[in-house]
Order: sequence, then C-alpha cells, then structure tokens
Amino acid sequence: MKILRDLLRYNREFLAGVVLLGIILTMIGLSLFSPFDERTIFAVPPDMPPSLDHWFGTTSRGQDVFWQLTAALRNTLAFGILVAVISRLIALVVGLTSGYLGGKVDQAIMAANDTIGALPHIPILLLVYFVMRDQMSWVVLALVAALLGWSHDSRLIRSVALGLRTREFTRHAVFSGMRTLQILVREHLPYVVPILFFTAMNNLIWAIGLEVTLSILGFSDINRPSVGGMIYWANSHSAMVSGIWWWIAFPMVFVVILFLGLFMLAMSINEYIDPRSRLARMGA
Amino acid sequence: MPALTIDRLKAYYVNEHFGLKREVRAVDDISLVVRRNEIYGLAGESSSGKTSLIKTLAGAIRPPMRVIDGSVRFNFGGESVDVYRQPDRMRQARWRHLSYIMQGSMNVLNPVRRVKHSFRDFAFRHMDPNRDFQDRVVEHLRRLQLAPGVLEAYPHQLSGGMRQRLTIALATICEPEFIVADEPTTALDVLVQQDVLALIKEVQRRLRSSVVFVTHDMSVHAAITDRLGVMYAGRLVEEGPTARIFAEPQHPYTAHLIASLPRIGDARIRRSLPGKPPALSDPPSGCRFHPRCPLAIARCIKEVPEMLPSATGGRVACHRAGEAEVT
Repeated sequence: MKILRDLLRYNREFLAGVVLLGIILTMIGLSLFSPFDERTIFAVPPDMPPSLDHWFGTTSRGQDVFWQLTAALRNTLAFGILVAVISRLIALVVGLTSGYLGGKVDQAIMAANDTIGALPHIPILLLVYFVMRDQMSWVVLALVAALLGWSHDSRLIRSVALGLRTREFTRHAVFSGMRTLQILVREHLPYVVPILFFTAMNNLIWAIGLEVTLSILGFSDINRPSVGGMIYWANSHSAMVSGIWWWIAFPMVFVVILFLGLFMLAMSINEYIDPRSRLARMGA
Repeated sequence: MPALTIDRLKAYYVNEHFGLKREVRAVDDISLVVRRNEIYGLAGESSSGKTSLIKTLAGAIRPPMRVIDGSVRFNFGGESVDVYRQPDRMRQARWRHLSYIMQGSMNVLNPVRRVKHSFRDFAFRHMDPNRDFQDRVVEHLRRLQLAPGVLEAYPHQLSGGMRQRLTIALATICEPEFIVADEPTTALDVLVQQDVLALIKEVQRRLRSSVVFVTHDMSVHAAITDRLGVMYAGRLVEEGPTARIFAEPQHPYTAHLIASLPRIGDARIRRSLPGKPPALSDPPSGCRFHPRCPLAIARCIKEVPEMLPSATGGRVACHRAGEAEVT
C-alpha cells in the first residue's frame, strides 16, 4: 500500500497510467447500468450527433455510442485479460521447467517454443476463425491467441530459471530431497513473479491490439460490441463518408487511452522492479 | 563399525566432445575411514579434489562426474547404507542422518524467501511430525545463540556471519549423525571464522556426530580437526592424527603445507613451492607430486607409492616417507 502511494506521488508515468486506466475502468463500471441492451439495434434514433441526450452521439444502427463503448471496452479488456492470464500460465510452466531441467529437455522445449514464436499470429487466427465459423466465440479466440502469445516470455522466464538452477540454494534443496515440483513452486516461482507482472502488461496490450485488429476486419462475433467491432460497423456503414465521425472517433480515442494507460503502467512498474532501466534512462 | 568407509573410490569427470574423450580424475583410488564422534579434516590446495571427494561421498554428484569404481558406505544408527548401491535408502537418510554445509553456504538461503520458509522447505519432511516444528526450530536456534526473530527476516537483512550460522543451524536441525562441511569458513573474516568453528565443534560434541571438514586453510585444521587427510591431485597422500601430522609430517607435500603457515615471531619469508598442481586429465606418472617434490628420486617417476602405515600412527603414500622436514 505504501509502495502504491509512493509510486503515485513520485512516479508521473504511474500516476498518468492510473488516471487513464481509471477512466477506462469507470466506463466499464458504467456498462453495468446501461439503459440499452448491448446487442439491440435501433433502440435510439440513428445518426444523432453528440448531444446532452446522447453524449457521444448515436450510430447508423440506432445504438448509443457512449453505452456501446462501455460494453465494448468491457469485452475488449476481458478478452485481453483472459489472453494474458492463460498465456502467463503457459509461459510460467514452460519457462520454469525448461530452465530448471536443462539439457536435452530444454533443447526440445525451446525448439517447440521458438517454432511457435516464429508463427505469424494473424493468419493463424484467421484460419482458426474460418475453420470454426459458428462455434467461434471470444473465449475460443482468446484461447487461440493465448496459445500463440507466450513464447517470448517463456524464454525470458527460462533465462532466469537457468541461472537459478546452479545456485547454492537449489543444490541444497535437491540435496535435502525436495521434489522437482516443490523446488519450482516454492524456491523458483517467487523469483519470476515480477517478470510475470510486467510481461502481463505487455501481453495485455498485444492481446487487445490483436482483438481490435481482428474485429475491425470483421473476424469475430460482430454482434457482440467490442472496440474493433464498433469501427468495423462504422466502416461498413461508411461512417466517415457520411460524416458520422463520432462513431469512429470515440472508440479510437478510448482505445488510445487504454493503450497509453497500460503502457505507462507497464513502464513504471518495470522501472520500479528493475532499477537498471531507470539508470539506463538517466543515460548510464 | 566406523561411521563412514570409503573403499578404493574413483570418481571422474567424463567428457565427450566431438569424439574426444577426456577424463578428469578428480577422485582417484581413495580409501579412508571416518570414525564416530570425530572431526576428519581434508586438506590440500585448490583443484586437489577435496570438494569432488566429499560431493562423491555425499552422493551429490551430477554429470559429467561419474563414479567409476569403489564404494562409499555410511553407518547410520547401526545400519549400513551404500551410497551408490542403495540410492533410495540414501535419499531417506539425507538431512535426517547426513547433512551438508556447502561451499559458499552463504547463498544456501533463498534470497526471496524468509528464513523460516527455508527451514520448512529443507528440514520439515525429515523431522518427527508429532512435535511442533516451529518450537523445535526456535529451540535449536536459541542453542546456537541466534534470536528467533531471524526466522522472519530475509537473508539479505542478515550479516554474513549470521547467515553462516543459520546455514549451520539448518544443517544440524535434524541432529544428523554425519555432517559434511565444505569450506564453511572460507568467506568469513577471522573473528567470525572463530565463532563458526566453535559452533561446529560445539554442535558436533553435543550430537556426538562425525564431521568431514574440508578447507585449504591449515590453521583451521589445526584448530578443529581430530584427524587430517591431505590430498594432492585427486589422491590422498597422507593421513593421521592432526597434532602428530603438524608435529612431524611424513609426506614432503604435507611438510610444505605446514611450513607455509605463518608463525608469530618468525620473520622469515615463506618459500612457496614452485610449479602448479598438475592437470587431472593428464596426471604425471608415478607419484603425482614428483615434478614439484624436492626429494624426488628416479623411483618416484615410475612407481605409484602405496598408502602404508606411517610413523605418526596414520598412513602415508611416499617412497621417501619421513625424510621431509618442515623448513
């Protein structure tokens, strides 16, 4: 708690990140009180510019942009968090085991790891989308994205685990008869938790970017509001040409706020965890 | 029955790279016995195989090191356990009967976990589950003059001497019959060193356990060990009661080790022995010490000297045993 207070007071990036994410979280909180069902179209008069009744205007499909956006941010962030959590778990398990076991096992795991890292993500997700078609839900999409998004961070965790396996306390643990799983969970896991946290932020940004990209292209459940999905509908109704700028502008502004907030937070947390990056920025 | 019997033990580092096989004979044909309730010292310069020997005897070796020949047998509470033929029995005996104070043992405690967690991780499953673990740890620490408060600390919050004492506490909490100590005092300054030595001695007396104590520091050996084994290039060259060895070393190498010790009031410059210890992948023929030995004769180059009873009540492997003098 004291750490949080100090970070807020002395770290401007952290403060900015917290404020920006606060805006997003408020929006998401408001989605619970939405007067409209998020999937209903023509609930309000279409194509209304921003006014006191409809703060961010309404879409050509008769939806209120503000309330749509609250639901869209919620869905997009949920997708990102789900991807980040699943891919963190995979990265953790793979990185720790590979680094600790070493030798041939490590080589085999890392070969698979690098293969997955080299795969292009978007074509694969599109392929999965076309194969799954109607069964495709955002959870499945998140699962596939998570299966693609862990390989870089598992290498990071492995590099730490490789260093830990030859440390005295690991040898001591082995000698005292601790089983491999116990060593990994009790002795090595605490070491990599900070890495988990800051890679989670980066992974979240990546996953949201992925979701927005896919939705803009229409490769998702298009009736379920998401930030990319809103832009997809706006494009398909030629919103820019017909002057309905608010339909595109507000989702874009908020996705930028979300990205900036996460980035600031990731940066400041990284700086807090790894003092060397602070020195690097000071020019050392 | 002695606490530990090592019989003609050979353990080599075997490396095969691109078809080129290399053997590093770190432990070469060593036989020795450690009795109950004694501190057995192992001396020798760096790369003489001390650490390799005790790793082998504790069953803590990892590839590329391999036991080629010979056996290591412990006697735990009257039961004989062969380290390499009964690995399951050995696994159970670890920590309970056999504990290990490792080289650089300052780093034995995991820096991101509290000390009490290290105790729990390492020792809990080896102890009687009926007694309260926390109470026993606190009681044990108090006997070693450590405040129970250190259990809540992280290792970096403690001084080097405290950490060293904690690792000794950790190694002795299960009251083992056999303790292997690999240079536990090397990284410490003299005052803390003295403290730690007294602690090890005290624990050993109370538990009546056997200790194998490794260090290159002859003055530490003089202070703590009952019997002393001197290693050179992977072999044991001399063994005997510590006091007698210091008084009349039989092997020229031992004589040199003892001569290198500074004495109060003696202002002479100590001569160092010319040369370096040999590469253990390609050791010299005959007696491995002959290239550096001032007493070497033609026989030393051809014949490997055997370990034979010596005049000091121990054993020595030298063709000219007893002729060396401490200068």
